[in-house]
Amino acid sequence: MLEVRNLMVFFENALAINDLSLQVHAGEIVGLIGSNSAGKTTLMNALSGLIIDMRIKEKRRGGERITLYGNIIFNGEDITATKPSERVKKGIVLCRERHPVFPESSVVENLKIAGYLKKRQQIRESIESVFDIFPALGKLKSRKAGFLSGGEQQMLTIGMALVVRPKLLLLDEPLLGLSPMMQQVVMEAIVELKQNSGITVLLSEQFARPVLPVIDRGYVVENGMLSLSGSGQELMANPEIKSAYFGI
Amino acid sequence: MFLGTIVYALVNSVILALMAIGFNLTFGISGVANFAYGALYIFSAYASWMLMNLLHIPYLPAAVISILLTTLLGALMYRFVLLRIRGQVLSEVIATFGIGLAILELFRYLGFVGFEYTLPVFIDRSFFIAGTYVDMQRIIIVIAGVLIVVALWIFTHHTAVGLAFRGIAQDERTALSLGIDSDWIATLSVSFGAGLAALAATIIIPLGSISPGEGYDVLIKALAVCIIGGLGSTGGVIVASFIIGFAERFTDSYIGSHWTMIVSLAAILIVLIVKPSGLFGKQKELEERI
Repeated sequence: MLEVRNLMVFFENALAINDLSLQVHAGEIVGLIGSNSAGKTTLMNALSGLIIDMRIKEKRRGGERITLYGNIIFNGEDITATKPSERVKKGIVLCRERHPVFPESSVVENLKIAGYLKKRQQIRESIESVFDIFPALGKLKSRKAGFLSGGEQQMLTIGMALVVRPKLLLLDEPLLGLSPMMQQVVMEAIVELKQNSGITVLLSEQFARPVLPVIDRGYVVENGMLSLSGSGQELMANPEIKSAYFGI
Repeated sequence: MFLGTIVYALVNSVILALMAIGFNLTFGISGVANFAYGALYIFSAYASWMLMNLLHIPYLPAAVISILLTTLLGALMYRFVLLRIRGQVLSEVIATFGIGLAILELFRYLGFVGFEYTLPVFIDRSFFIAGTYVDMQRIIIVIAGVLIVVALWIFTHHTAVGLAFRGIAQDERTALSLGIDSDWIATLSVSFGAGLAALAATIIIPLGSISPGEGYDVLIKALAVCIIGGLGSTGGVIVASFIIGFAERFTDSYIGSHWTMIVSLAAILIVLIVKPSGLFGKQKELEERI
């Protein structure tokens, strides 16, 4: 479904992604494990097209500080230079890190804003299904999103992405700032998504412990490069992972 | 006299709100302070006048055409000028002010100055309200003001584009990652703002005459209202319009007309000293700018 070939991203002279290649197959949950500054968010932004948008806007202003090499292939089509709005139309939706919501709009309004590209009927149905997946959100329909807890905001962020009806859901550090219990709730919801909706998920995370048991395959990123890959079980059993992420 | 002053203060407040609401909409969504706003207001009025007097088109269709033309001009301004400098505040101000200056001074250069440049009132009647005569055009202004605010609320809360406006206003990157094209929405916000300026001109200009100088006045009034209310806040614009509108009319009636402008400017200064972000202005991170 998604293939990244020899991707390199430079911010001026700083190399954020270094010759990175990976694949995500339809129906999989793929994890991207890495510590802070490993390049996870840059990769997610490259896949969603946000980097292309930043580059276009910089170029208009006469500066060009972002450079991209390599290819991003989605369902056989090269989307390396495609704008984010076009990628969303193709089915790639990103939930950015730190669960960004529209803080001054209500929960329902957030979901409606997310349905910009969809028809009214589709939005209505999607909102109902979001409240089925996250019943806690259903009780907070009219509350301003800025007044939700971190966990509720994360549910809302994923719910907003679901309204778009993605084929490939990119989750950038969905567990960041959540309590262990809430991390469990979010991971269960991700598994449920895969099982019930068949959505393919690529999630980046620095917390390996709740992620590795759930993913089909995973990659470990360090300094913008892939250092390890394998199934969730293989990565869990790997001594380097145990040492770096589980402190064993 | 007191009740009459209140009636005219109410009308004056609605006029100020109408003058400022388009400027506020554009700034709230795209962050562009459109200093050509007053020129767009006057452009629309002159366009209506030319369509009526040179092409002999009746006022209503002429007004509709000029509103559409002004809306298009706003969109072109964004696509060809503002797109490249968006986010660079000083460049935006200089560019939009330059465009506005060029439009207004072109009309002056072409000789569009004089009392013959007027637009007709919608209905030529007057009513005796609260001890004073009020003409139908002023009543229409108040009704139109209420309708426009209600329509704007419905637009931003119940339409896909309106909701996208609010999304972009709150978090452009998140909106982008959900498929909302920020360039397209910003283009729409500048063109809608221009359209609202044109709509305001269509309703308000029949009370006086069209002149290039009026464009500068409209810009200053729109800025004053938005600064006092808090740039980007529609609620703030309405409250600020009433504060300035009532202050101006009461100063005019009880102190002297030459103090009117001083009262407005003093209001801006006081608000800037006490609450620099305006009465309803919030920190950017927390605000919904519609």
